[in-house]
Amino acid sequence: MVVSAQTVHNTAWQVGVGSTNILDTYLSQEKFSGVGITLLNSDERLRDSCRWSTIVEHELNMSSVEDRAGKREELQGGYTLFLGRQYLWQWGTLRLQAGAMAAADLGFIYNTSNSNNPAQGRVSLQLMPTATTSYTLRLWRRPLKLRYELQLPLAGVMFSPNYGQSYYEIFSLGDYDHNIVPTTFVSAPNLRHQLSVDYPVSRRLTLRLGYLGHYQQANVNNLKSHIYHHRLMIGVVADFLKVKR
Amino acid sequence: MAKWFLPFYLFTFLPFTSCVDEEEFPDTPQGNFEALWQIIDQHYCFLDYKQHEIGLDWQQVYNKYKVRVNKGMTNQQLFEVLADMLSELRDGHVNMNAAHDYARNWSWHEDYPSNFSDSLLRAYLGRDYKIAAGIDYRVLDDNIGYVRYESFQQGVGEGNLNEMLSEFMTCNGIIIDIRNNGGGDLSNAQQLAARFVQQKTLVGYIQHKTGKGHSDFSAMEPRYLEPSKQLRWHKPVCVLTNRHVYSAANEFTLYMHTLPNVKIVGDHTGGGAGMPFSSSLPNGWSVRFSAVPMYDTQRQPAEFGIEPDYRVDLTVDDFKRGKDTIIEFARKLLAE
Repeated sequence: MVVSAQTVHNTAWQVGVGSTNILDTYLSQEKFSGVGITLLNSDERLRDSCRWSTIVEHELNMSSVEDRAGKREELQGGYTLFLGRQYLWQWGTLRLQAGAMAAADLGFIYNTSNSNNPAQGRVSLQLMPTATTSYTLRLWRRPLKLRYELQLPLAGVMFSPNYGQSYYEIFSLGDYDHNIVPTTFVSAPNLRHQLSVDYPVSRRLTLRLGYLGHYQQANVNNLKSHIYHHRLMIGVVADFLKVKR
Repeated sequence: MAKWFLPFYLFTFLPFTSCVDEEEFPDTPQGNFEALWQIIDQHYCFLDYKQHEIGLDWQQVYNKYKVRVNKGMTNQQLFEVLADMLSELRDGHVNMNAAHDYARNWSWHEDYPSNFSDSLLRAYLGRDYKIAAGIDYRVLDDNIGYVRYESFQQGVGEGNLNEMLSEFMTCNGIIIDIRNNGGGDLSNAQQLAARFVQQKTLVGYIQHKTGKGHSDFSAMEPRYLEPSKQLRWHKPVCVLTNRHVYSAANEFTLYMHTLPNVKIVGDHTGGGAGMPFSSSLPNGWSVRFSAVPMYDTQRQPAEFGIEPDYRVDLTVDDFKRGKDTIIEFARKLLAE
């Protein structure tokens, strides 16, 4: 007797462009805005006998922004790894998934004009509830999937220099002062959500169009920061079937 | 239960979350004035110290200059008012940079004799001096090693310092001339000073602001100078200073001042004991200000400079004879 277990891999590769708005009072009191690009890879694995799925997402952001006078420039880059588990409920073509996720974020903001405070490092680990809902309808005799994904960090930890602390003190002298800061949804009210439309172009390949909003904020050590990404995303989704015997 | 978690979370916690934002001043003369005044008020690290030392009252400064700002003024006029306001801080690390001008208060050296002559320096160095990265050096006739370090913005490698000290191996002493050295990279100053310290030595303290209040500071953390693991100098040293010695060069003087075989010769240093940070105004002008205060071993800021061990000025008579009074004094001191 042969027992087989099937795992469906739903993998998406997307690229997006859009606006970025940055505030980091360690670097300047001014807000900076401009354009940025996001690369997003997401992989969801769901076994046929199980309602729990595993999600792995890689998000890479790069932005170039300037102040309102157009005289000062900042460059921002970041990588975020999302790892999560979601439980599936399904009613016909309506699917609801909810669960938990961990996000590890590594990034920087570089102010091209500043002297001893030219850059701000961003390192954080967040735990967050996550939910995804999708609904499939038929249009032009093809299934069209509307999908919405949401993450709202609940708590975590992040790196931050203290209010007027220099990186020289932290890394050259080793003087630490509340540089690893516990965060909650109050001190770091982040939000990430994605609305997309999937349109199948072949049996295995689907075109995805959508909006990704990633709003990272923090108010720790008397320093305020936010990075708002708005991206128009385009990409492809592919389903793979793995069978284990 | 699990399916109600998300709606429960959304309706319970979302009301507590909000945008993290900062008040933006308008890009008007008044808005730029307010923004600059607030940056200094919340971030400048010597407001309390200067109130005590020179009677600076930052709130009074606000009242004094606010009336000079009006919406009809030109950029040049606004720049002049803001530059005047910043001058009240009497700090060489406080600057404002616009396309047409650079606001500064250089009274820390402009109000004093320079005590330095490039012509005399050339006479002492001659033409066959050696250059090791940012350092010029040679052995003088009386077997004294002479080192000229013009700016700590120019780095020097450990190999450069090894070669320089090897050259001076048979010398009776070294003169390190940092006159007119306006600072640069603190690590260059530390790297050089580490060649003259024989054991881990307390050279001062450092702290930083922890909030917007004028007195919101962290605890003072000690700063130590570690001896270099490479070639080190054990014989006497004279460090030559003038009023133009500032910032990282002032720190170098502070380090060397703590060492038993080192004497400081020349004029009082210019100061500059606050590591500067930068910010910008609504109109794009960048602002630099002292943000991280550093102190000597007595926990006193060296913001207004360091008194030398031997106060010596260049004299006109010596200048006419082609002699640098300060170098000559140091040579005699080392010969003794």
